[in-house]
Amino acid sequence: MSLQFLLRRLLGMVPLLLGISLLLFVIIHLAPGGPLDAYVDNPSVTKEALEQIKVAYGLDQPLPVQYLKWVKSMAQGVWGYSIRSGRPVTQEIAERLPATLLLGGTSLALSMALALPIGVVTAALRRTAWDHVLTFLSFAGISIPVFWLALMMQLLFAISLGWLPVAGYETIGAGGLTDRLAHLAMPAVVLSLATVAAWSRYLRASMVDALGQDYVRTAYAKGHSATGVLIKHALRNALLPVVTVVSMEMAGLISGAVITETVFAWPGIGRLFVESMDGRDYPVLMGLMMMGSAALVFSNLAADIVYALIDPRIRYD
Amino acid sequence: MLLAGALMLALAAAALAEPPADAAPPEPIRGGTLTVGLPYDIDTLNVYSTAELGDVEAAVVEGLLVPDEHARYVPALATEVPTPQNGGIQLTGGGTAMRVVYHLRPGVKWHDGVAFTSADVKFTWETVRDPRFLAESKDGSQDVTSIDTPDDLTVVVNYRAISPAFASTLFTFGILPRHLLEGHDLNHDVYNQKPVGTGPFKVSEFRRGQYVVLDRNPFYWRRDERGGSLPYIDRVIFKIIPSSNTLGALIRAGEVLLAPRIPYMLAKQLQGARNIELVSGPSLGWIHLDFGLRPESRLRDPVLRRAIAQAVNRAALVKAAGGYPQPIGSPIVPLLEALHDASPEASAPAYDPDAANQALDAAGYRRGADGYRSKDGVSLNFWITTRSGEIDGEIGEQIIMAELKAIGIRVSADNKTGIAYREARYHGDFDLLYTRWVTAADPVYSVFYGSHGPLNGQGYASAQLDAALERMETSIEPAPRRDAASEVQRILAHDLPAVPLLNMVSIAAKTRRLKNFTINPTNMTDFAGIARWYLEPPAGSVP
Repeated sequence: MSLQFLLRRLLGMVPLLLGISLLLFVIIHLAPGGPLDAYVDNPSVTKEALEQIKVAYGLDQPLPVQYLKWVKSMAQGVWGYSIRSGRPVTQEIAERLPATLLLGGTSLALSMALALPIGVVTAALRRTAWDHVLTFLSFAGISIPVFWLALMMQLLFAISLGWLPVAGYETIGAGGLTDRLAHLAMPAVVLSLATVAAWSRYLRASMVDALGQDYVRTAYAKGHSATGVLIKHALRNALLPVVTVVSMEMAGLISGAVITETVFAWPGIGRLFVESMDGRDYPVLMGLMMMGSAALVFSNLAADIVYALIDPRIRYD
Repeated sequence: MLLAGALMLALAAAALAEPPADAAPPEPIRGGTLTVGLPYDIDTLNVYSTAELGDVEAAVVEGLLVPDEHARYVPALATEVPTPQNGGIQLTGGGTAMRVVYHLRPGVKWHDGVAFTSADVKFTWETVRDPRFLAESKDGSQDVTSIDTPDDLTVVVNYRAISPAFASTLFTFGILPRHLLEGHDLNHDVYNQKPVGTGPFKVSEFRRGQYVVLDRNPFYWRRDERGGSLPYIDRVIFKIIPSSNTLGALIRAGEVLLAPRIPYMLAKQLQGARNIELVSGPSLGWIHLDFGLRPESRLRDPVLRRAIAQAVNRAALVKAAGGYPQPIGSPIVPLLEALHDASPEASAPAYDPDAANQALDAAGYRRGADGYRSKDGVSLNFWITTRSGEIDGEIGEQIIMAELKAIGIRVSADNKTGIAYREARYHGDFDLLYTRWVTAADPVYSVFYGSHGPLNGQGYASAQLDAALERMETSIEPAPRRDAASEVQRILAHDLPAVPLLNMVSIAAKTRRLKNFTINPTNMTDFAGIARWYLEPPAGSVP
């Protein structure tokens, strides 16, 4: 992998992100209503006052002008003010990021830690009882709705057993690592369950495919141990498609998880997004969606780099 | 503030209002932390900017007057409610305008210790009416022409016209501290996160999407009957819990000690739960089915509207809502004793599906093979809209759909949320709308049903109703006001632009340890009375 390749890819992101931003801008303005609806219906807000509000937020300008102004100010690092709360967009997002990254990161790590062994075991022991049980659990994991599972876990672990707090990010005024982990446990498990199930299925299919290849038979013939063949020969080759799937999920890490955040009263990006969408808070929406898009573009690049690391046949010039 | 346009109080009622004397209650206990669950994410803590009801604000910021648990105004930062009798209201301009005089309570201090004066009241008006201040609620600010402050404790408000609704607007919402905000840009000021008020509690911490912590204001002016300082509780934590299922779990687990205005479905689930008490109180809110009367809509046919009104069984709606709300036939709910007309002519038609079927048959709406009616080749096919995600509304909507199907009208759901819902509601982009209004003690109905009412998204217009509303809303004498209100109800019952269905009941779930809690039926929220609440220690704890 050359430095030139990296630079080329990074430069290519600029027009890509610009294109995405234009598309997002158009889409959010296509939705009915606007951020000033609350004022429009208000009998005590006069027409003149409404005009002044429009000017204050630049909403009096034609849409192309609004878009160009937004691009210009973003390029200077100015994300604007939330219409809903009157606070800087960067501050709104920055406050929600730690909780989002903590939950997303934990659930990602948990998913990988569980999906890898399950995928390998079900492939290696395919058509045994182990395979059937784990396959059944995987499908259950994919099928169970998140909100229902969350509710059941709250009933069991928080109310009946009293082991964990029902919801929230931390105990107000207490805090500490144990407290944080106790609050994190249920949302992280709920969020990772569907991912574990999906990823382990991907890996199983990919492993089964690899185990049927000539090089695996050759490796066995050369007298390698079963575990060695499984890990060194089959898994390494089977991982490539999984890297693609995981990289997609990496971007989701930063966009939050609306349902899980809502059920567990977790102060993440997902809830901020839904509230902003409900209120047509354009500056916050654009900020959040651009951040999510940038994360997706970068994680794609990261996936390409990881490909090259795993598979020496892949080279970028 | 949400629905602020509709919140008004009759002068007549206000004139009677005095703080009720409590009958020898047990000695309240001091201290403790009250944890409250709120279902919405707080946008700002500025009462004038927020799009939500101001639960937190009601414990922090005070106005000159405050509505009590009987929806009557009582003095807060003023020493008495202005009335014509006590000289607080004077007619000016030859009887076309008025002047309201407030005498302010001496010795009141802001949370930072600075004295509260008449200059703060005048500053509040100037700030709210300033077009540069982007506020959700500017109610009443345009009705005032000038404010005089002859001394620190006297405020004279000069109104453009006679405005019986004066008590429900800006001077009740809350007073802004001039010494902290003068010359500031209130749109982006730190006040919106940490408002400074004169109320029983002050804001210590506000974590967005998580919680607000309030601590006791040691300098609070109000005293209890024994002359002891208020409030009794030391700390209040408002937790933001967006899911009602989670809120239910937190209440059961004792992590939330009070949840105001819970959905009926949650109340149903919590019935009989250990250590939990459900408190219900009257509400000035009512649930109604609105007709979209666009020029091309078939719902402009009064026969059809009447049949739909007769097809809806309010008893079924009440049952689905856990038995809590009460059926009504008029938008002026019975709690508004001074205005409510209980006669049948002032009430929308009662449940009578047979009469509905006969009327539709007679009007030429014939049933087809599929059971649905049509006329002139056009079948009766409508959309019904409610705010999506509100469980009580969605259940009520399902019942109405089934009942209308029974009289041969096909109705499909078209629910919306947020701005999309607002757009549909206020711009008449609906056929049937299952919705509600929540008001204070004496709503101004012209905003809903007046031909040019800003909240009239239905396209309903009646010159006769406009005239009756005008008389009702500009009169300060009880008798003509009552007559006009009665005429308003009769016209609405005849024209049926909307079918009033249920008078809402406000339900709070609380721990049995919380005492003196009362439901406030107005939009100023239950927390307007928080200074007198107290918490008994948990069973088994050492005092």
